[in-house]
Amino acid sequence: MTDHAITTQEEWQAARNELLAEEKEHTRRGDELARKRRELPWVPVEKDYAFETPGGTKSLAELFDGRSQLLVYHFMFGPTYTGGCPVCSSIADNLNVNVPHLKARDATLICSSRASSDKLEAYKQRMGWSFAWASTVGPDFHRDLGFLHSMEDLKPFLEGEMPPAVTQNADACGVDAATYVTEGPGLSAYIRSNGVVYKTYVSTARGLEPAMGYYGLLDRVPLGRQEAGEQVFWLRRHDEYETR
Amino acid sequence: MTEHRVGTREEWLAARRELLETEREHMRQGDELARRRQELPWVAMEKEYVFDTDTGEKALADLFDGRSQLLVYHFMFGFGFRVDEQSPGCTGCSFVADHFDAAIPHLNGHDVTVVVESIAPLEELHPYKARMGWKFPWVSSLGSDFKYDFGAAFTEEQQRNGGEYNFRHVDRPPPQREGMSAFALQDRVVYHTYSTYDRGVEQLMGTYRMLDLAPLGRNEEGPASWWQRHDEYETAQEVAAG
Repeated sequence: MTDHAITTQEEWQAARNELLAEEKEHTRRGDELARKRRELPWVPVEKDYAFETPGGTKSLAELFDGRSQLLVYHFMFGPTYTGGCPVCSSIADNLNVNVPHLKARDATLICSSRASSDKLEAYKQRMGWSFAWASTVGPDFHRDLGFLHSMEDLKPFLEGEMPPAVTQNADACGVDAATYVTEGPGLSAYIRSNGVVYKTYVSTARGLEPAMGYYGLLDRVPLGRQEAGEQVFWLRRHDEYETR
Repeated sequence: MTEHRVGTREEWLAARRELLETEREHMRQGDELARRRQELPWVAMEKEYVFDTDTGEKALADLFDGRSQLLVYHFMFGFGFRVDEQSPGCTGCSFVADHFDAAIPHLNGHDVTVVVESIAPLEELHPYKARMGWKFPWVSSLGSDFKYDFGAAFTEEQQRNGGEYNFRHVDRPPPQREGMSAFALQDRVVYHTYSTYDRGVEQLMGTYRMLDLAPLGRNEEGPASWWQRHDEYETAQEVAAG
């Protein structure tokens, strides 16, 4: 027998109805948040950033690929990593399937990283992704958005107790923990209007969960995320799970 | 110039920080909702259902495929939204299903199996699945009460005299609607734990969640739904070439 509370269909229904009212309220609040995001002021991007791509060197405006909106996922793949961050890879799995539908909404979604374009393309092929992946020229693009840290910024973090997930992910990327966390994950959004590129939105940390489709599903399964007290972080690159 | 409000970096940052507080509050509410979902009592399944699968006939307990949790997406096939003979899979369900293959390796690695279910013979599901390039397990519930019992299909009698969708009475429900149900398997007993319908399935659609972060949002003011099957967009060719 299970230890979980077991009930009749009628009692389940009553509990589910109560929860549904709150789920609907949460959806409405999410709609309201999306409206507030669209009302954020836009900031003109004045610096000229350059990116290496398989199609040559491109400006930020060129990364829009002819559409009016650009979403950039800042993928942790530093110049000396031997592979992309496993968590960013799980995010990229989800982003990859969004691309055709986002294009139909006039939005281009790409990833950007500091590793060389050749390294990114080889990893992209291994993972079976089709989104465009830009390699930043110089440190400014990621640093200006807060997704590239200096050793000085990182000092307090590196002197504290290292979370097991950080060590595990650093190992998976073939670098030490300090090199691993030099890169930060993030998302930034832009719009192009009359030839001017504006930054509209930036998020990081749990603000990236909208791109982690498995969490939306795990939040609806009987046992949930099951991450509390976890010593070995469960996420892997999609081709590195032991099949069971 | 744009008609949208343009700010300095400092003005943007102040507005963004204020919004972040609201986003965090919303996330905490979401965490609380997830906790409440896990606290829902479970209902032991007493009725037997049989599904036709790529590896033969299976009971609901077999669909767990060795894991302890199962998510079943109720996919509208044969009749539904923007369906015709060439494209028998519902357009909206196809949009939802596009997201599954990206999440499945991760969920399988975390003790969760995802299965898609439709009232149609496997030989009709297979060509559509191949066309869409999907890999997830898609089973046939044809001849079973499964989709009806879980509130995602309606008998002719219900279509005439009323039924319940998304836990509410509907006077004239359509033959099928979208939904997803969750089950737990413990000591060989299957329990129904959760079901969600209608906008509840939006949480499975990463594309919407990304659009909610884009400058123009979902941009859905027009009368018609913008989404198509992923190979039907005018831009699909370049994606395929991508």
